[in-house]
Amino acid sequence: MALLELNRVSKRFGGLLAVNQVSFSINEGVVAFIVGPNGAGKTTLFNLIAGVFHPDEGNIHFASKEISQLSPDRAVHLGIGRTFQIVRPLRNLSVLENTMLGAFLHTRSPAKAAEEAEKVLRFLQMGNAMHLPARGLSLPMLKRLEIARALATRPKLILLDEVVAGLSTSEALALAELLRRLPEWGISAVAGVEHVMQVVMRMADRVIVLDHGTMIGEGTPQEMVRKPEVIEAYLGSKYKELGL
Amino acid sequence: MRRAQLLIAILFLILGLAAPLVVRSDYLFQVLFRVFLFAALGLAWNLVGGYAGQLSLGHAAYFGAGAYGLAVFSKAGIHPWLALLLGVLLAVLFAALIGGVSFRLRGPYFTLATIAFAEVLRVAAKNLAAVTGGDVGLQVPGLFVKSSGRSLYLAAVLLTAVALCITAWVSRSKFGYYLMAIREDEDTALSVGVNATRCKLRALLISAALTALGGGLYGSLFLFIVPDQVLSIDISSEMAIVAMLGGAGTFLGPLIGSVILESAAELLKNIFHEAHLLIYGLLIVLVVLFLPEGIAGTLAHRLRRKSAIAAPPFKAPGPVSS
Ligand SMILES: Nc1ncnc2c1ncn2[C@@H]1O[C@H](COP(=O)(O)OP(=O)(O)OP(=O)(O)O)[C@@H](O)[C@H]1O
Ligand SMILES: [Mg+2]
Repeated sequence: MALLELNRVSKRFGGLLAVNQVSFSINEGVVAFIVGPNGAGKTTLFNLIAGVFHPDEGNIHFASKEISQLSPDRAVHLGIGRTFQIVRPLRNLSVLENTMLGAFLHTRSPAKAAEEAEKVLRFLQMGNAMHLPARGLSLPMLKRLEIARALATRPKLILLDEVVAGLSTSEALALAELLRRLPEWGISAVAGVEHVMQVVMRMADRVIVLDHGTMIGEGTPQEMVRKPEVIEAYLGSKYKELGL
Repeated sequence: MRRAQLLIAILFLILGLAAPLVVRSDYLFQVLFRVFLFAALGLAWNLVGGYAGQLSLGHAAYFGAGAYGLAVFSKAGIHPWLALLLGVLLAVLFAALIGGVSFRLRGPYFTLATIAFAEVLRVAAKNLAAVTGGDVGLQVPGLFVKSSGRSLYLAAVLLTAVALCITAWVSRSKFGYYLMAIREDEDTALSVGVNATRCKLRALLISAALTALGGGLYGSLFLFIVPDQVLSIDISSEMAIVAMLGGAGTFLGPLIGSVILESAAELLKNIFHEAHLLIYGLLIVLVVLFLPEGIAGTLAHRLRRKSAIAAPPFKAPGPVSS
């Protein structure tokens, strides 16, 4: 069954068509990655799903509900968690408190929220950093904190916007290993954006390729890296370099 | 550290309650009244300006609503305490209106909107002479019949106690965490399901009610109010400065700020006469430049850094073995 369904979704910024008639669906149990060159509209697509923007055309359904006009805070209540590509920690709060804010979605009690947040942080191997203020963290830790906060809301669908970008290859692969265990947290589908093809190939069941706001391909990672248009638009030399 | 702060607050209140046993001079009572009144007002402002990080410079609207509510409704024959309550309701109503509009704006635009609303109310009060007495002013009934100065002082101490209790509750509740999340990054707050508009509004309603009570006490002490006094931006900025000097978004900040600012203002007034406003202004500039987190915030920072040095350094997690 389709958990998320986009139907001819378009979004315009002034004269720029950032997302153009995009349709796809993500079933439960699927890890889908959206790839495409810089400025292709990937983050905009996530913002449309998360309710930050509303489509100018088309509609979005989540768990059979129309969510095109939903506000971001309502979208979270339905079970859509998201991370920010450009990290947005609550700088003067501790790592634990940052994560507790996600956990408050399901409890009024700070003690319960702390307990839940602690579990999430241990899973992400951030147990040692729990009481540090978010403002001093390194980028790899901030990326994990983005995931922790989203995970603590216990979403059905999690939108991971370039969570391994800026990490070293070993860090990126380590994080990808952890992310493969997301179903343990009751997450039924993942939508990711990543430029690191090794991570995409390792994690994705499906790949959606976006270029200039338009979908130019969709399929398994293996299919996608063989498609000429996709190689042309995006992977090109990078793909050959990696020798996948 | 939380416990220490709570103890300091309780000690402060006990001293406040005990003061009438030793203080005899009316003048000193007035000074102490101001200290506690502005501690309470600073705490009220702190909920919106500190915890939620929404820099309101229009709280005079609620202060004035309290003072004018008390005066206008009791002139209409309503018992002063009931009139004060109606004044609080009026302030809450204003808060709902003002917040409903201005919370759509962020940052400096929000601040400008709050100033504008308070100014509109001040000008309206000046012109609605039939109700407010206009520029001539309006008489305010005494809330206490006997030993009014001392009773009003104790009422101010009580108001501070109430504001402290509310702050203590907020600072350790989900609501308080939501307010802080909004302050730190509103988009992040939305991304974890915080209804930012509703939270900010709720904080403002509580803040406005406390502020109106303060306005009522103030009016009742002077027995006479004019728009340029109780609805002026001076009131709004003093509330903000008290909280910011002590430490916006901290539990004890407004208390500390009020003790320092109100006693300093009094001393400066006596020594420098007219020049005291200048020195007052300079002090504020110095604080903003050198103590941006306020006194309580800076102290807490220092203490935390000390304990962080004592703790073992944190090691980033290594790659997971797969
Ligand atoms: N809020 C906005 N206002 C105006 N234009 C925007 C806005 N957000 C994005 N854009 C534009 O829309 C296009 C798509 O941007 P988007 O951030 O979605 O790309 P992306 O695929 O995520 O790129 P990257 O890989 O660099 O993250 C870009 O041309 C960008 O400049
Ligand atoms: Mg992007």
